[in-house]
Amino acid sequence: MFSAPVSWTDKTYFCCAVTLYGIVMVYSVFLWRKGFQRDDWVVYGMLAGGWVLHTVAMVKRGFNLEACPITNLYEATAFIMWTIVAGYLVVGVWQRFRFVGAFASPLLFLLGVFALFPDMDPELAPGSHEFSGALSSLHKALLLLSFGGFGLSAVGAVMFLTQEKDLKLHKFRAILSKLPSLERLEVAMTRLVWIAFGLLTAGLVTSSAYLHQVKNVWFQPDPEMLWVIGVWIFYLVLLMLQKRHAQSGRRFAWGTLGSFLFVMLTFWGVYLLSPLHQPPAS
Amino acid sequence: MPILCLGLNHRTAPVTVRERFALPEGELPVLLETLRAETAASGVVILSTCNRVELYVTTDAEPQPLLNELRSFLLKNREVGGDADEIFYEHSGQSAVQHLFKVASGLDSMVLGETEILGQLKAAYQLALDHKVTDARLNKAFQKAFNVAKQIRTETNIQRGSVSVANVAVELAGKIFDELNDRAVMVIGAGDTSEKTARALLSRGARSVIVSNRSFDRAEALASELGGKAVDFDHWESEFAAIDIIISSTSAPHYVIDRKKLEPLQAGRQHRPLLLVDIAVPRDIEPEVNFLEDVYLYNIDDLQAIADDYLRLRQEEIAKCESIVEGKTRELLESLGGPPKSRRQDPTFPSAGEAPATQN
Repeated sequence: MFSAPVSWTDKTYFCCAVTLYGIVMVYSVFLWRKGFQRDDWVVYGMLAGGWVLHTVAMVKRGFNLEACPITNLYEATAFIMWTIVAGYLVVGVWQRFRFVGAFASPLLFLLGVFALFPDMDPELAPGSHEFSGALSSLHKALLLLSFGGFGLSAVGAVMFLTQEKDLKLHKFRAILSKLPSLERLEVAMTRLVWIAFGLLTAGLVTSSAYLHQVKNVWFQPDPEMLWVIGVWIFYLVLLMLQKRHAQSGRRFAWGTLGSFLFVMLTFWGVYLLSPLHQPPAS
Repeated sequence: MPILCLGLNHRTAPVTVRERFALPEGELPVLLETLRAETAASGVVILSTCNRVELYVTTDAEPQPLLNELRSFLLKNREVGGDADEIFYEHSGQSAVQHLFKVASGLDSMVLGETEILGQLKAAYQLALDHKVTDARLNKAFQKAFNVAKQIRTETNIQRGSVSVANVAVELAGKIFDELNDRAVMVIGAGDTSEKTARALLSRGARSVIVSNRSFDRAEALASELGGKAVDFDHWESEFAAIDIIISSTSAPHYVIDRKKLEPLQAGRQHRPLLLVDIAVPRDIEPEVNFLEDVYLYNIDDLQAIADDYLRLRQEEIAKCESIVEGKTRELLESLGGPPKSRRQDPTFPSAGEAPATQN
């Protein structure tokens, strides 16, 4: 009977999870070439397996730290990925949304490889948990959960744009595939953005409360705080336009996808620029 | 005790001949009992549809004399107007069972993989069963045929998709709209295909139909048939805001809907998607409208191309289906006693795409 070696660290489990996400990505290429024709549990099963390994990695890291494992870029990225897979495992129960996993796997794999870069997980110096506490963990968790939600909505946007383009160009695979209808994808995308926006709002409020707790101010012009407020305003505008039917589903999909790409491409830089979020390295 | 089959279908006889052999439903009980009483058949099932008339029988006697009797039975009081041998095909034993399985699975149908034939075959068998003119061997063969049809339906793509223009339009609507339940359909030009398409959409739950035609009387007549309402041809735009799907098939020599006309109308729809199905020749809808956001335009060639792709997909599945039929035929014949000859030994075993070897 197989048993994990004692030396398996949280990183080993995480590497295994990322490997599984990579395998799903390769398998998804075949699914894509076949036009997503048949109901497929393989993607769901493999991502569920990856998610279990991923969860073990995060739990182990959390026990080692004796805190919520979101203290550096590696952990933050792993947390966002974990949220995306968890969200997929919920929506993937419905047959029409099972292929979300195939669209999400490249994103998961890329994020996983990025998280595993050596400099992403520096050793923490003593006293680096200076700001640790319930509000500290909560605000980080809420913000990262919201980014995971935005990630999942961006995956929905890619599905929408793929399906929309195939229908416009009269491709046979548009009608043959088992992807959801355009309207259903738009509704799913919108709801995901609303949920993620709610989490982002809650994350901002707790950030402010936490700042007040430790520094006795509600706001500080820290680059990351300003960036999060900017992202919040951007998504608010996007949602308001959608609510007032002022844009087509296609534009909303591009907006959702573009916003998430912006978040992913700038998050790391802003994080490194933020004095509030930089623990002293050993 | 072999199973025999004698019949004619759309491949061997044109409709002018088939219509002469169509057996009225009310006469079938009498015909079944006559066949059983006056021939050497111990079990009988008669299948009579618009595309085929087939007699399935079992016998303890020599097959060929019975097949001749069946042929005479069908030819009685009927003029063929040519060589009767060319319109009938005969199958015996393994070949008959295989033919039955193919018919049940829609592999022998005019529209490959269609499912209507299975219902017709079940009804034909039930009628024979009710009149106690089947025997154990025929019962087993038909039960197996229904199982084979089910297996082929679930394990292959032979019945996947639509091969008619009307149903392709319905499938397209399903890819754009979440549900068809609350959708409004407009028919511009009351042609035959547009009527079929509207009916197909209504059968899938579309809420209402608005018909607009140059002849208002014709529009009213069709609207009344479809349970919708008619609007004046020159004012169809007044209903546009509530419409989700437009089917156009007028005989107008120019575009009825063009980009210039549609763009301002589309602005008032709050970005709801619009499916335009143009089945007119010459076309009713300017191709440029497909470039508008939220508008999806399909003309008759686009729909036909999808239907053809589906047909090609079905044809690619034939080998898989034939393999299932072959295996199940052997299984049945073995269970009925007397193992069948191997394929190599039996020259009457037709391969994929071939006409039946014993066809006369």
